[in-house]
Amino acid sequence: MKYSYDIEGGERREAEKKPPIVLVSKGKIYAYLFISAPVIGFLVFTFVPSLYSLYGAFTDWNGLGQMNFIGLDNFKALFKDEYFYKAMYNTIFMMIGIPIGVVLSLLLALALNRGVPGTNVFRVIYYIPVISSIAAISILWQWAYNGDYGLVNQFLGFFGIKGPNWLQNVHTVKPALIIMAVWKGLGYTMLLYLAALQSVPKTFYEAAKLDGANALQSFWYITLPMVKPVTFFIIVTSVIGGAQIFTEIDVMTPNGGPEFSSASIVWYIWQKAFGNFQLGYASAMAVILGIFIFIVTYIQFRLNERSRFDMD
Amino acid sequence: MRTKKMKTLFLALAFAVISALVGCSDKNASVGNGNGEKIELTFMFRGQPQEQTAYKNVVKKFEEKHPNVKVNIVVTSPDQYATKLRAAIAGRKIPDVFYFNPGELRAYVNSNVLLDITKYVENSKGVNLQDIWEKGVNKYRFDGEKVGQGNLYGLPKDLGPFALGYNKTMFEKAGIPLPDKDKPYTWQEFIDVCKKLTKDTNGDGKLDQWGTGLNATWTLQAFVWSNGADWIDESKTKVTVDDPKFIEALQFFADMQNKYKVTPSIAEAQTLDTYQRWLRGQLGFFPVGPWDLAAFDQQIKFEYDLIPWPAGSTGKPATWVGSLGIGVSSMTKHPKEAVELALYLSADPEGQKALVDQRVQLPNSVKVAEEWAKDPSIKPANKQEFLDIINNYGRSFPTEYTYNGEWYDEFYRNLQPVLDGKMSAEEYVKKAKPKMQKLLDQAIEQEKQASKK
Repeated sequence: MKYSYDIEGGERREAEKKPPIVLVSKGKIYAYLFISAPVIGFLVFTFVPSLYSLYGAFTDWNGLGQMNFIGLDNFKALFKDEYFYKAMYNTIFMMIGIPIGVVLSLLLALALNRGVPGTNVFRVIYYIPVISSIAAISILWQWAYNGDYGLVNQFLGFFGIKGPNWLQNVHTVKPALIIMAVWKGLGYTMLLYLAALQSVPKTFYEAAKLDGANALQSFWYITLPMVKPVTFFIIVTSVIGGAQIFTEIDVMTPNGGPEFSSASIVWYIWQKAFGNFQLGYASAMAVILGIFIFIVTYIQFRLNERSRFDMD
Repeated sequence: MRTKKMKTLFLALAFAVISALVGCSDKNASVGNGNGEKIELTFMFRGQPQEQTAYKNVVKKFEEKHPNVKVNIVVTSPDQYATKLRAAIAGRKIPDVFYFNPGELRAYVNSNVLLDITKYVENSKGVNLQDIWEKGVNKYRFDGEKVGQGNLYGLPKDLGPFALGYNKTMFEKAGIPLPDKDKPYTWQEFIDVCKKLTKDTNGDGKLDQWGTGLNATWTLQAFVWSNGADWIDESKTKVTVDDPKFIEALQFFADMQNKYKVTPSIAEAQTLDTYQRWLRGQLGFFPVGPWDLAAFDQQIKFEYDLIPWPAGSTGKPATWVGSLGIGVSSMTKHPKEAVELALYLSADPEGQKALVDQRVQLPNSVKVAEEWAKDPSIKPANKQEFLDIINNYGRSFPTEYTYNGEWYDEFYRNLQPVLDGKMSAEEYVKKAKPKMQKLLDQAIEQEKQASKK
């Protein structure tokens, strides 16, 4: 999926060199056996429940008893529900963190790639938040954002700035969550970029130098295009993940924040399904969210195809 | 998927998966029928680590007393419980005995999730219903119309009366006469005392001690109810937040911060701060629940005690009594034993004693609780206040009478501007009422739809 175009291209080239591939070779059978595990997992835990949820979206299911078919009623109610729009808006707003994270992590990766002493130590430090439990991190940041004795406001206090009460303020709650998300994702994206940077052949830079390119030019014309597949991968997966932000919202602002200003769409789905016995309605929202993610991802793939960079 | 071969493979896989899913038939591990075979029950509950240990021990004791029963325990952390239970219910794999929130009672009875345990409880030899708080038991009665009367669908795991505490040491330092433990303050008196307590004690020009700091989500009820108002009417179908008495109470609540300035500043109103400040001895009054006692023992360095909440125009104090229910699944194969277990967890004196010694909750059995309240070795001194709340002036949350709580959440959702003094209480309730009523109507409609099945 991620690099389908690469693989296809590779296959095409292979096909030119080799005889047509036999499908029923012994090796292939084993290969299928091995990939069957994730495929079965996907079918059982993702695909079948998705179908169930799709059906549920057209019922008045309350999660306890039977499901009665009610046609499009859920969707009609949904498009009149101000909180649905608000949650959708909040979710999209919080994706501002994605480009910020991409830029920051690329800068960090560049810095580390220059062979600063202690690179390994930094790599570990930046990667710790990635492997930590999101719930635990949320609790830590909740303390950090505390208006009174939180770390963030104490730090601002050094410069004589009186910090707001981050999580209780309509204007600051979303930026607060964005900062946390960027911080948490930084290590992961940085590591991917670092790997990408290290795979750029040195000869390119040498050639550019001979042609009289300065550092900025070689970054712009060599480094950026070379790490583009990674950028693409990061943005696609971050958008998919960002659309489903939930845990940090639920831990840090258990009621969806002041005036519903931090409620994400998944948080609202969860609230409807498990708080108010409206699983049908929640399923309808989940279907809309699924379609939204699909469309956005599709557009990204199309855009990416148009500006494909071939290394031949 | 470019070839027939692959397609067949995928189809075969999909078929295998789906048939495996369908094959998940409902098999209960037990085949016990009283002739020497073991009966197996599943008990699902939630709790903090120390609570989990305490309850596991109580279950062990139950097994010792009933050698023919084996209890399988499923336990989750508090925040994951609701989701897991709903998943179990949706999959029709309801545990035999499980905790549930009293706010969910109507929906669970309506959709036939909970067993009517009235006759089993009456015939039980183990525990007498009279031993448990009547108010606690009544939370789990439902006659199909109203909660609080009719058949029994659960038992209280515990009751959580939300009392008001005060910092005795601070009073003594300020030379203010201590509050009466039986006669509540009027609102005016409460404000006067709070004003005296709000001050800068070290002369750095910044306040470092306040009268109180209350969170609207948990303490507004005390002011609204004691002023003779409520969120919802007697029939539990009409939202009544535009009642002048309600507006008065809400305005008073917001004024504590903005007009009388006896609480920490606006920005800090709704954080955990006030709890932290109370622990550090910076607040005069602060709510105390039975679940706080263990933490307060360890962390509080001042003397504190309990008093009734300040009373509004009714002259009577009010506050809420929370609870968690223990229910039995309508699908259980062993209703008798399941109810026995629920009763044992709820009120067996021995089990209760163990739980109280762990300081995880207030005793559920009246007798044990009265002994506990009199015990001078347990702080605070006036533990009787908790029992007074249960017996006299405590109430259920408004949401415990309705199918879901969305209408009530709506009230709090946009309340912040009122608390910040940017909007008047009157203006707010006028805006909120129609929205709340619409959600309540929806819930009532939803309940009707669900019960038709």
